Amino acid sequence: MFNRHKTRTALTVAAIAVTGALALSGCSAGGDSSGEEGGAVTLDFAFWGNDVRAAMYDEAIAAFEEEFPDITVNVSFLGFPEFWEKRQIEATSGGLPDVLQFDYSYLRQYSENNLLLDLKPYLGKEIKTDALSDQILGIGVVNDTTYGIATSTNAWGMFQNPKLLEQVGVEAYPGGGSWDDYKKYIGEVTTAAQGAGVELWGGNDYTGRIQNFEIQLRAEGDSLFTDDGEPGFDKEQLKEFWAQGDDIRQGVAIPQQRLEEVYPVSGFDAALTTSELTWDNFGAGYLGNLGEAYTELGLVAPPVTKEGAKDLYLKPSMLHTISANTEHPKESAELLNFLVNSPEVGAAFGTNRGLPASTTQLDGVELGGLDEQIRDYEESISDRLGDAPPAPIVGYGTIEEKFRLLGTDLGLGVLTVDEAVEQFFSELDVILNS
Amino acid sequence: MTNTPVSSKPAPVTVPSARPAPVRRAGGRAAPSQKQRSTRRENLAGYGFLLPWLVGFFGLTVGPMLISLYLAFTSYNLFTDPEWIGFDNFTRMFTDDPIYMKSVGITLIYVLVGTPIKLAAALGIAMLLNYRDAGSGFFRSSFYAPSLIGASVSVAIVWRAMFAANGPVDGGLSFLGIQIGGWVGNVDLVVPMMIILAVWQFGAPMVIFLAGLKQVPQELYEAAEMDGAGPFRRFRNVTLPMLSPVIFFNLLLETINAFQIFSSAFIISNGSGGPGGMTNFYTVYLYKRAFADLQMGYASAMAWVLVIVVAIAALVLFRTSKRWVHYGGDS
Repeated sequence: MFNRHKTRTALTVAAIAVTGALALSGCSAGGDSSGEEGGAVTLDFAFWGNDVRAAMYDEAIAAFEEEFPDITVNVSFLGFPEFWEKRQIEATSGGLPDVLQFDYSYLRQYSENNLLLDLKPYLGKEIKTDALSDQILGIGVVNDTTYGIATSTNAWGMFQNPKLLEQVGVEAYPGGGSWDDYKKYIGEVTTAAQGAGVELWGGNDYTGRIQNFEIQLRAEGDSLFTDDGEPGFDKEQLKEFWAQGDDIRQGVAIPQQRLEEVYPVSGFDAALTTSELTWDNFGAGYLGNLGEAYTELGLVAPPVTKEGAKDLYLKPSMLHTISANTEHPKESAELLNFLVNSPEVGAAFGTNRGLPASTTQLDGVELGGLDEQIRDYEESISDRLGDAPPAPIVGYGTIEEKFRLLGTDLGLGVLTVDEAVEQFFSELDVILNS
Repeated sequence: MTNTPVSSKPAPVTVPSARPAPVRRAGGRAAPSQKQRSTRRENLAGYGFLLPWLVGFFGLTVGPMLISLYLAFTSYNLFTDPEWIGFDNFTRMFTDDPIYMKSVGITLIYVLVGTPIKLAAALGIAMLLNYRDAGSGFFRSSFYAPSLIGASVSVAIVWRAMFAANGPVDGGLSFLGIQIGGWVGNVDLVVPMMIILAVWQFGAPMVIFLAGLKQVPQELYEAAEMDGAGPFRRFRNVTLPMLSPVIFFNLLLETINAFQIFSSAFIISNGSGGPGGMTNFYTVYLYKRAFADLQMGYASAMAWVLVIVVAIAALVLFRTSKRWVHYGGDS
């Protein structure tokens, strides 16, 4: 009696344990992606963003499902870093969503690992190309194959804070000019601010951003990376570039130590500088961080290294791509087309994803304020716009961050320019050869 | 209740001869008796209960550890298959990565400076609190409180705000005429700031010291006092030796913990390891190599070097402990 009882207990324990083990090892049935709400096809769609963008996508997807009653779309979203952590895991296990909002810096990595669908068979059919310029269509191309369509574009620009400039009585930087002109402007603001006893500087050390190096290289006919992914510059060029900051790092530009304290926002966000060079879609973020006291910003062209240079270019703020292992490529292409081209999506988003690249989508947008300013800016620099560089090399994000960190080390004085150049090239070597 | 062979079902006489001769253990009996069977069932039940833990242990701890040991000798970016590169990761670490060496340097400073100060603070406060009256419980809890919340994200955020330019610390020091500005962005002050944060979380070793202090027999102090020993001598010749096993335990634990400093540094620097790499402690750098740069092979190699270094540190402590740790009554 005693023994039998114990046997039964042991069996029960074993049964529970096995069930637990199965649950732990993830043997639960995967969600079947068909037959929901009567739709013949169900697509998974993922994006990064916040609640505001999610509400916009809800509106856009509802319009899509109305037009295509046979297609149901499951939407999911996360913040940017989590979005990519999740995608990396899905990518290694072959379970990417059908349609994705996609970042330019990952395009080469994903396409070269055959994770994205070749869109060529769908171009001009499901995916309408009439409203997209060749320049835009070229952005999603890696190794002669189209993997993504850009939704919108940004260009490099210089933001200024008119209210702070007025406070210290300095004229706004007119845009263009030489890099020395810009340094002079930074100095004027800083001196005026010191005279007025205000904690304010004219700008930060612009040599901390790889994009400023890039536009200087482009002006000389070089590039950050060649088409085969090799560095397009040598140590001497980088040394010269970083040395440009030597004089403004001596208290002319905002000290790095002060920037460390406000990081991750920038000096411009924290109302500590009157100017900053960055992508032109950062305006809304700046106004958000500056707070209600600030309502307008200036946006002018960056300094130019050589008059007449085609140093600037349009960069996609984001793309849409389709997973290579989707079971419904045609329907996915329909969804991608709708997200890129339809005026309904334009109306839902405004410029939340940047200035729409598709003219039909742009027609759906009601422009005003900053959005209009950005459109006018991108028109004003058309003479300086050259071809976009090839899609970023695998590991570009790391390189960009490394460049930024070395810039902060220079600002803090813990490295010399020579040491920084050596470290950068050693890091580059690891990334390019891994 | 005992299970003798005759209790319920006597085994049929024919069975043993129908089978091949039972294997005999050295000096063993004929297998399997009912007693053995019930032992086996008990074992089975035992393993059944252990199974969930075993699955976790092998699936989530041992398995990943072995895989990471393999990855340490590969170049692996999550996308393409790991590529065997032998000892390249380790060579790079020690000969071609100045950031790694710097990270090791500041981690060692943090461990070697921070841990002794923290233990001294913990012991000092434990001695102050080692009395018994109405308020003692309240004070003990109050002093322990920072350690309960110390590891949390919120405290690191508060710490960052406190030590920023024009923050309370800067303001207080300025009031005293010391103008050093903010600590958070200052290359020279951010490590001391991290050490102060660690020392402030002295609660866990303090509680253990308190328990240890209570074990020191009062008659030893009385005897020492009668021999004319002052407070310092009593501390040196009675408290310290009697407390040495507890000191050893705390030292070991805190050293191992200090090597693994991550969350406070990660939050205070917003994940950047700045300013100037001065909060880029070992695990912060490891995390960045793995999850920001996707250099999983390199990060695995770093992790194994850390395991080995911590093991060596523990071994050294154990070895030297024979000389200074006294277990009461042993000698």
